[in-house]
Amino acid sequence: MTEPSYAGPVSASALLQQPPPARDFDVLVVGAGPAGSAAALAAARAGCSVALLERGPYPGSKNVYGGVVYGRILDELVPQWWEEMPVERWVTRRSTMVMTADQALTVDFRSQRWGTAPYNGATAHRSDLDGWLAGHAVAAGAVLVPATVATGLLRTTAGTVVGVRTDRPDGDLTAKVVIACDGVNSFLAKEAGLHPRQDNARHLTLGVKETLALPREVIEQRFGLTGRDGQDIEILGCTRGIPGGGFLYTNLESVSLGVVVGLPGLAAAKVRPEELLADLKAHPAIAPLVRGGRQVEYAAHLIPEGGYDHLPELAGDGLLVAGDAAGMCLAAGIWLEGVNFAIGAGMYAGRAAAAAIGAGDTSQAGLAGYRRALERSFVLADHRKLRKVPGLVLSERMQRQYPGLICDLAEGLFEVDNPRPKPGVWRLLRTAVRRHDISPRRLLADAITGMRAFG
Amino acid sequence: MAEQPLVVAALSPADPLGGADQAALEHTLRLAEALGGRSLAVTVGPAGAEEVLRQALACGVQRVLRIDGPAAADSDTTARALVAGLGLVPDLLLCGDRSSGRGTGATPAFLAARLGAAQALGLTELLLREGELTAVRRIDGRRREQLTVPLPAVCSVERGSARLRRAALPALLAARTAEIQVATVALPEPRQPVRLGPARPYRPRPLVLPAPVGTDPLARIRALTETDRPRTAARVITPAGPEAAVDELLGYLREHGYLAHLTREDDQC
Ligand SMILES: Cc1cc2nc3c(=O)[nH]c(=O)nc-3n(C[C@H](O)[C@H](O)[C@H](O)COP(=O)(O)OP(=O)(O)OC[C@H]3O[C@@H](n4cnc5c(N)ncnc54)[C@H](O)[C@@H]3O)c2cc1C
Repeated sequence: MTEPSYAGPVSASALLQQPPPARDFDVLVVGAGPAGSAAALAAARAGCSVALLERGPYPGSKNVYGGVVYGRILDELVPQWWEEMPVERWVTRRSTMVMTADQALTVDFRSQRWGTAPYNGATAHRSDLDGWLAGHAVAAGAVLVPATVATGLLRTTAGTVVGVRTDRPDGDLTAKVVIACDGVNSFLAKEAGLHPRQDNARHLTLGVKETLALPREVIEQRFGLTGRDGQDIEILGCTRGIPGGGFLYTNLESVSLGVVVGLPGLAAAKVRPEELLADLKAHPAIAPLVRGGRQVEYAAHLIPEGGYDHLPELAGDGLLVAGDAAGMCLAAGIWLEGVNFAIGAGMYAGRAAAAAIGAGDTSQAGLAGYRRALERSFVLADHRKLRKVPGLVLSERMQRQYPGLICDLAEGLFEVDNPRPKPGVWRLLRTAVRRHDISPRRLLADAITGMRAFG
Repeated sequence: MAEQPLVVAALSPADPLGGADQAALEHTLRLAEALGGRSLAVTVGPAGAEEVLRQALACGVQRVLRIDGPAAADSDTTARALVAGLGLVPDLLLCGDRSSGRGTGATPAFLAARLGAAQALGLTELLLREGELTAVRRIDGRRREQLTVPLPAVCSVERGSARLRRAALPALLAARTAEIQVATVALPEPRQPVRLGPARPYRPRPLVLPAPVGTDPLARIRALTETDRPRTAARVITPAGPEAAVDELLGYLREHGYLAHLTREDDQC
């Protein structure tokens, strides 16, 4: 067989001549990240027998993200989740920083309402968060199978997915529906042919992040926080013009600093991502915030940022795909939300699988309720609405020219150049536009696209 | 030896299994197979300790037994509980050479004593060769010695002496819900352990000097601090060549009495 395999030499996908007479489980979820645990929880609550496969020794052991999670979607799964979720800080300061090498303009919003129930965003560590959510799935009856890698799909000759093969001896597991929540590399969905066969690297960004330990009081002083309040700073213009951005989040006794950059841009610029992170760490607007932090974690991970226009097929015969595996991370400049989208998608996948099993039809058509539910919910509604945003945010102008333009405008506005009188805003804008070699028509067009995209 | 020999893995209750315990479990499975015998995994601990027994079941031991007791007891109490809970002398009992954490490695020795069994501790290899149990352990100077161990015996193995097999998926799933047999034994009151106090900062031992003579305080202090002792300035020489340098060095050492036991002839070689 010359068919290329996405799992490389370890792919163990197999064709079964006969569908297995009985299935080990109703639903088999691969990957105990936020998507997988939510899927397992929803399916188990709906009365299905569920297995939740995780390759790490425990859920969360292998997972990386920046650190902010929005829990509202959990209202449906774990009422009063805020009372038990392992949270570091509640985000009450949400800032967007635009910078050049020696300038920075920050829009800083604070709401104390976000620091009380029912809360908004929170910083949390993945090893805690994933374990917590998987614990709920197990409490609902799902069987967690850790330290076990799904190495391929079991399919009938007709192409229906009936289970997965794992790396354990006698490791085949069969189920009526497999929900692939195996993260950004999404090899199960690729093996099933749900992803278009094209250059996927174009829609991937690489996140590199460092966690720096600092005493709690130091964090509170530097970031102007009290108690469990936290700050989330998203940063534009810190990637030497390579499409991407950065972030700085406060945990209880550490901060997470990271950059996220597009793979093609990174490859073309021949820069190592850790250099970008080192630049950011040394930036005059960031250095005083992280000074003296002891590095306790350094991690890198891919993020799917294709958005709505590059989603794969979400269902096949006997198979659903959710979370990063389906490219559902919302990465649109001032938003970097993957976990809530993964939880939402997982939840709808679990419910759709249970409904299809109940109705006795787990074919692609029988599972079509999944996509419908996603389209009605924020998961695909937000992606649909913001479909133009990734392109805009990662565009050449947004990355290379606008940060300088914005910072120069602010600088001109606030600089006192006596005895000369203050310049008018229009003059400032005209000078800055000229200095950064921006066509006014493009600027206007981007402004309109931006209004439409975010509107 | 009974009809079907019994090989027991005594595991510490910490989840996940430590490296040495994993090796002990693997040796148990291998030796039970090699001896054509039965395998059993035991641990002393509260209900939470059953997790390690489930891991043992998943990997293929035939039976498991939890002996109810505290998770962290001293080695002697653990050994007593194991012996009482087992209720018989197994042909072979295996454990890790020390439990993870602050294990002292004393449990297997107590066990051997209480069971009246032979003991071979801290092994790097353990296998059945021509019907005899042979083992290897480290000794000083990076050497190893080979042991032939009569049964019944208690053996402890180092981590890395065997790699625990991967549990098959059906066994892993079955182990999750398997019934775990529990034995309750009357444990003696735990003895008072030695208690540690806080560590004190380092202080060098005082150097005892004879009292200085004289009555002038300044002179006494100068004498005590050896301020007036003449310093020997460094002597810098530049020998003509390597041979001259060697002669110079040997001469110096001899002058200070280091080479008294050597003759002039020895110098020549
Ligand atoms: C640097 C960085 C910063 C980010 N910041 C944020 C943020 O601040 N907020 C936010 O909401 N999102 C953020 N994200 C995105 C977020 O991490 C993801 O969108 C989210 O984790 C997706 O969840 P998931 O369950 O789909 O996949 P994952 O979290 O990747 O989970 C996949 C799981 O599947 C397991 N697995 C994979 N393959 C197999 C296999 N073959 N067999 C068995 N198990 C398998 C993995 O071990 C893992 O546990 C960030 C991402 C990165 C990289």
